Amino acid sequence: MLGMSTRHILLGLLASGPSHGYDLKRRHDDRFPQARPLAYGQVYTTLQRLVRDGLAEVQGTDSDGGPERTMYRATDDGTHELSRWAAEIAPPAPFVANEIFAKVVVAILSGGDPAAYLSAQRAAHMERMRELTAVKAAKAADLATVLSADYALNHLDADLRWMSTTAARLTTLTAEVDAV
Amino acid sequence: MSKPVPLLSASGLTKTHGRTPALRGASVGLHAGEILAVTGASGSGKSTLLHCLAGIVRPDEGSVTYDGRRLEELPEKRLSELRRTEFGVVFQFGQLIPELTALDNVALPLLLAGTDRAGARARAGEWLERFGVRGQQDLRPGEMSGGQAQRAALARALVTGPRVVFADEPTGALDSLSGEQVMTALVHAARESGTAVLLITHDAQVAAYADREVQLRDGVVAPLGVTA
Amino acid sequence: MNTSPVKVNSLRSDLRLAWELTRGSDRGEWWRVTLTATGAALATGFALAAVVLASLRGSYDVPYATGLLDEPGTRSGVIVGLLLLLVPVLGFLGQCARIGAVHRDRRLAGLRLAGATPWQVRRIAALETGLAALLGSAVATVFSVLLLLRVWGRPNALAWLGIALVAVAVPVLGAVAGALALRRVVASPLGWVRRLGPRGGRGPGLLFLAGVLIVAVMALLAVATTSTAAPNRPNGELPLQLMGVVLAVGAGAVWLSGATAKATGRILAVRARSAATLIAAERLRDDPWSAARTHAAVLLVTVVGTGFMGIRQVLSDVVHTSRNLAEPASYYTTGLDLTGAAVVIAFAITLSGLAVGTAESLATRRRGLAAQAAAGVPRSVLGRALLLETALPLAPAVLLAGLGGIAIGAWYALLGDRPVPWAIALVPLAVYAACLLAAATSLPLLRRSVRPGELRYA
Repeated sequence: MLGMSTRHILLGLLASGPSHGYDLKRRHDDRFPQARPLAYGQVYTTLQRLVRDGLAEVQGTDSDGGPERTMYRATDDGTHELSRWAAEIAPPAPFVANEIFAKVVVAILSGGDPAAYLSAQRAAHMERMRELTAVKAAKAADLATVLSADYALNHLDADLRWMSTTAARLTTLTAEVDAV
Repeated sequence: MSKPVPLLSASGLTKTHGRTPALRGASVGLHAGEILAVTGASGSGKSTLLHCLAGIVRPDEGSVTYDGRRLEELPEKRLSELRRTEFGVVFQFGQLIPELTALDNVALPLLLAGTDRAGARARAGEWLERFGVRGQQDLRPGEMSGGQAQRAALARALVTGPRVVFADEPTGALDSLSGEQVMTALVHAARESGTAVLLITHDAQVAAYADREVQLRDGVVAPLGVTA
Repeated sequence: MNTSPVKVNSLRSDLRLAWELTRGSDRGEWWRVTLTATGAALATGFALAAVVLASLRGSYDVPYATGLLDEPGTRSGVIVGLLLLLVPVLGFLGQCARIGAVHRDRRLAGLRLAGATPWQVRRIAALETGLAALLGSAVATVFSVLLLLRVWGRPNALAWLGIALVAVAVPVLGAVAGALALRRVVASPLGWVRRLGPRGGRGPGLLFLAGVLIVAVMALLAVATTSTAAPNRPNGELPLQLMGVVLAVGAGAVWLSGATAKATGRILAVRARSAATLIAAERLRDDPWSAARTHAAVLLVTVVGTGFMGIRQVLSDVVHTSRNLAEPASYYTTGLDLTGAAVVIAFAITLSGLAVGTAESLATRRRGLAAQAAAGVPRSVLGRALLLETALPLAPAVLLAGLGGIAIGAWYALLGDRPVPWAIALVPLAVYAACLLAAATSLPLLRRSVRPGELRYA
């Protein structure tokens, strides 16, 4: 979610009005609670690139009693780019990097214990799912928190289900891997 | 590290249905106020474990201890009373009497405990309110949505202030959103009243509401995430 | 398009399907087949006896029942009595049809979903019921004919015609009733597959009412055609009047039994203090008509039984005190004893119907009951609720039927200028007690129904 579109997310946050880097970071972390928090450095580099590409511009500075901060706002080009991106469909996972599968195969090849690995991985997944569920089921949780936790939960659940079926078919898989 | 004694525990349970072994030496402990998920594939013995722990079924071997009492030593009448007063049960469906309204269904355990009808109905109403189905109190189970009926069932299970609630696939017949509402309601209510919950499910997202998980495999508790 | 080979073919395949489905079904279905066949055998037996008697014209010398069957007038009374016995049999069959009904309805709805046409489903259902009825009627016919040939060397053509008609009519009517009972399943297959648990909404036993009506018409016809040759009998119109009273009270009884069930449910549901009463009251409110058929038969038996006891009291009084009787005293007492036996048989059949109905109501709900027991609802509460379901609606209805019967007895006593036999007021009480006992026979079944094993199947 992050690597591909930090610039578009920042543009989106700017759509509601001019803002400065610190504010953008805070709003990002609030809106996307389950995403990895943005680093300041990343926010500023991205803002500079947006200015360079003509999608955002500096509006002025604002001190507000504290240190001086640069205010940014989206340009018309930026607004267009944002609506183009928002309407563009996300490619449905063309290359799924499956580290778990790779590890299972390696474990088989190297004579390790793929079942034990899967079991431990499953426990780790469940632990993470419990954390996310606790966040989501907390009484104060707002809908944004619930939805982003749900997104992560569903992905973890998919992994988990895949691990269960794989664990049940390890014997066949081992025979197949060893035969090649 | 010494742990407190579990409120409810089973050791070495075996149970055979006809010729099919459902449990082959399962042991598990549930602490007071804890939410424990029991997961496993279908046929792994989850429901039978719940039935044994709740005193609904007597195991062939092994023993179940609740609060210092061994369930296998209690006569059926005492077990029934225990289930009525200190336990609550929620099944996938079918635990509400189809001919009674939601309100009367929830009031039923109180009536059985000797509360007068008006008092029972008043308290039942509060619990329905708490689970957000007060508006449906005069409907019969068949007239409610699956999620509403399950929330009424939760109210019925919790209305007597039990120390343990047994939930066997409580969201099994629901879509994920209704399931989420039921689970959230269950977890909040259990946390607030300090009720322990034994939650049977095959769904990891439901199991994730628990504090802890044990996995059943072929009638025994499988070690969890322990690398050899 | 529908050429006859195709028809025969499809009938054969339906027959095979019906057979396969019955064979593969569970115990409940076999119970239905067995009990339906038994009911059909009883119905055939009574109807055959009535038909053979009706085929007699004028006076005969029948070496049975001390000459009661010799004269057309008394003979028509016996015929009416035999036909009236069909009423409790109908009630019994109605209860039998409910055995495994949920399961069967789902199965046939499944057939619809699998692409069977409504007609095919109807045919299969009709075949299932019809075959059971055919079995019963065949057995009864064979034995009746054997018996008849022993007592009456050469029955006349009319008797043979009647026998053939009855033997064919019973299975045909059974098949038609089987097909009619399925109209909702055929109309909406999805509704029945999805439906969880039993639901009410049945009418007041329309099939039962239709059956009673047919019996009534037949009885009137029998009286009209067989008793004309007896203008010299003093109370020639009495059977007709009695019939009228009995039918009026009976029809009222069906309605009354349903209506009291509904009213009792509604009133008690609000006021119930105990769990058992609450459950019973709400079940009555939900489906007041489910037991109306048997209850109606109970009420009819109550009216007839109470009334008969009154008449018997008065008559035996007359027989034992009068000097100038036209016939020997045994002629009258045999008549009374025969009628008494008929009432007792009717009552026995009715009680069986009641027991079957209660057992079936338990079997259908066994999963829900198991869940209640698992939740700690004591078995005794469930048992009390089950008994109350029978006891509550029956109380006011039996009371009214008893009053009707006492009225008949009192009226007859006044007619003969004899003291009113108040002891007959005990009859409705006995009937009520017997009904509770019949319902209680299913309590052991409750114990088996609440097994936790039932929880394991959704």
